[in-house]
Amino acid sequence: MTKRILVLGGDGFIGKHMVSALAASGWAMPVAAGRRARAAAPGTERIQLDATDAAALKRALDGVDGVVDCIAGGAMVDVARNLFSSGIDVPVVHLSSMAVYGSAVGLVTEDAPLKADTGPYAQAKAEAEKLAAAYPRAVILRPGCVYGPGSTQWSLRIARLLRARRIGDLGAGGDGCSNLVHVSDVAAAALAGLRLPAAQGRAYNLAMDGAPSWNDYFLDFARALGAVPIVRLSEKRMTLESKLVAAPLKILEILAGKAGLARLIPPPIPPSLVRTWRHEIRLSPARAEAELGIVWRDLAAGLAETAAWINSVAA
Amino acid sequence: MILDVQDLPDGFSLDADICIVGAGPVGISLALTLATGGRRVLLLEGGGPAPEPDSQALYRGQVDAAGLHPSPDHYRERRYGGSSTIWGGRSMPYDSIDFETRPYVPHSGWPIDLAALSPFYGEAVRLCEAGRDAFTIETAFDTPRRPMIEGFDGEHFTTNTLERFSCPTDFGHRYRHKLEAAEGLQVVLHANVTDIRRSETGSEVTGLTVRSLAGRQGQVSAGRVILALGGLETARLLLASRIGERLDAVGRYYMCHIAGTIGSLKFTGPRDSVWNGYDVADDGSYCRRRFALRPEVQRRLGIGNFVARLHHPRIPDPRHRNGILSALYLARPIIPYEYGKRLYGDEAGGLGRWLAHAVNVATDLPATLGFLIHMLRDRRLAERKYPSIVIRSKSNSFSLDFHAEQVPDPDSRVVLTDEVDALGMPRLKADWRYGRADVETVSRSLALLAGDIERSGTGRFDYDPASVESEMTRYGAYGGHHIGTARMGSDPASSVVDADCRVHGIDNLYVAGSAVFPTSSQANPTLTAVAMALRLADHLKGSQP
Repeated sequence: MTKRILVLGGDGFIGKHMVSALAASGWAMPVAAGRRARAAAPGTERIQLDATDAAALKRALDGVDGVVDCIAGGAMVDVARNLFSSGIDVPVVHLSSMAVYGSAVGLVTEDAPLKADTGPYAQAKAEAEKLAAAYPRAVILRPGCVYGPGSTQWSLRIARLLRARRIGDLGAGGDGCSNLVHVSDVAAAALAGLRLPAAQGRAYNLAMDGAPSWNDYFLDFARALGAVPIVRLSEKRMTLESKLVAAPLKILEILAGKAGLARLIPPPIPPSLVRTWRHEIRLSPARAEAELGIVWRDLAAGLAETAAWINSVAA
Repeated sequence: MILDVQDLPDGFSLDADICIVGAGPVGISLALTLATGGRRVLLLEGGGPAPEPDSQALYRGQVDAAGLHPSPDHYRERRYGGSSTIWGGRSMPYDSIDFETRPYVPHSGWPIDLAALSPFYGEAVRLCEAGRDAFTIETAFDTPRRPMIEGFDGEHFTTNTLERFSCPTDFGHRYRHKLEAAEGLQVVLHANVTDIRRSETGSEVTGLTVRSLAGRQGQVSAGRVILALGGLETARLLLASRIGERLDAVGRYYMCHIAGTIGSLKFTGPRDSVWNGYDVADDGSYCRRRFALRPEVQRRLGIGNFVARLHHPRIPDPRHRNGILSALYLARPIIPYEYGKRLYGDEAGGLGRWLAHAVNVATDLPATLGFLIHMLRDRRLAERKYPSIVIRSKSNSFSLDFHAEQVPDPDSRVVLTDEVDALGMPRLKADWRYGRADVETVSRSLALLAGDIERSGTGRFDYDPASVESEMTRYGAYGGHHIGTARMGSDPASSVVDADCRVHGIDNLYVAGSAVFPTSSQANPTLTAVAMALRLADHLKGSQP
């Protein structure tokens, strides 16, 4: 009998992939939950749900065999609180983030302290994770930078910046580890987390083994996109981008977003992004490999697929 | 961690598993590779974070044949980052033939072959930021590129090998964050090593004496010591510490390269049939093809390794009618001496010549302005610098820039003098010599190249065979390439280090850098010096107790 799996944040980038991966597994019937009313994709169910409404969430949880919590953004702590205090007793895969490790450097395993000292996003992620950790049947996933078709942050934005030659070879500024993980690997990990009782109560890093440095990622992706040769950019230039240009661009982006024209505005490069590209933190992929049986998507194949998606979006 | 020796108390004593002396490209590559896995590594640098006249003055010395060798304090930098702070960035590996014992090259033959070094070139190219380990046009590019010279198929020369260019990367600046973050690594600036002390039998280094110009003195002891001081300073420190004295191989076999600009090359095809510019790799690195003497020809004719590049016509002669070159001529008063020397030669000026150049600039104004903008944007302001002046000649006229192997000669050497520097170290004298074999390599190569061009029907190469020796010595030994003074070999009588870069007869002293190269190749030494350093680091990691 197929399991009914509620996917919170089912309209988001990871949520959508989650829903289709569950549907394709044959093991589950995904129930995509989103704020807006939409038609269900073939082979899936669909409900309209504001998960910050505890009562509504409780109703939606009725009769499900598992939950994947893909809520990102401002609602994540509230939703986690509602979810884990709802009295359910089913496996819950909770999408956290490597941001919980904060400024940690070097090879980081799941047992590292959750410093969450790099800003409000990291704090919120850590807080939500704390709520999840108190629930004995939660499987916590800590993905690095999730790329793939649909990724606006780590694929589309990067592609636009590469094409505009606003990033490229960043020298010391791109020596940090990208901790890339393909979105299909995140979905596979969530599926494994739902199915394996031993995974409950555990946390898992999700970043491909041998993830490239940002510089190498930019070069490989630029090749896949045909945006070569890449250029070498100075630290001064990146400082200028992040300290002077980013804020006005962000404002423009918000204004244009209201008019539905956000894609006309060049993506800003905020200081936090510049710091990320320097940050020499490497997530250890060993536990996810050993316990969830994840075989990381080959980077070249993943980038080729992503570049094809970018080209279709641009067209 | 990076600290200054002045931060340490007088009479300090430092201890490490491995001590690397010299924070240039080689020392920094070693430190980055070795400061892992719990090893305690010390990297000592004599200079400070920026150029300092007093530190640089420690490099002063004498030259024997003035005019043939630059003053020893030129073309090298005693400061954090070493001479990578001033290098041009030209990077290419040594060729397989360079490692062979060639009966026609006395004292040739390395105790290792190219295959022993090949695994380390990839990482070396990466550290040098020269793209990737692909040095032919076919392997470096996915799609076919226009030929260097359409229709040229040389019996003696190939045109498909590449030189790739680093940014050029200042290793100290580029890798500072990694050196700062590396656990177990201490970089100490202003820490000049003035003596290598040994056990009674001499078979073990027991410590290093460290002094600063500001008067700090202390000791370093380390399980292993690696000298990464460059070809001149490594010999100086070994000689001053009386290491290898009995067998008298230290400082000998000193090689630079034989280089010069000669003749006039004229191709008959249309302008587009010749490509003397750079091909830009996907990673942004500049790549350029050149004429390379085939190894089988070297063997058959018994001559050394040789490459040559298409170069702009001689600048001082206004008959090139090129506004860019004439603008460079007119800019002569503001061009620094080290660059100007090779640009202009030592011909006299004169008003007539000046006027002729001014006319060239005026009649070729759009091209001249375009060039100035290109140099400003792509070189001056660029983080990855356009490597050189490339003129697309309207008339397909060029001169030829050559770079040739110098054969090892025990009488070409550096020695200590009676003069001492501010730290009491004896100063160096460079007695650099070239020989008939070197003139032969260049003479015969040029003749072969002229023949190849003529036979291919692509053009003509005219030069004066009688001027070869004067042209190849016009600027003397090629600046900055200091090779062979602590060469690698199996016989302690004619070499200083063994195949593992360990000094003969001393258990824990190693040399890294171009000092250990037994022969000089056609290639610039930096990339291979870094690759050898990585090989040494690999060896030391493997042999660690």
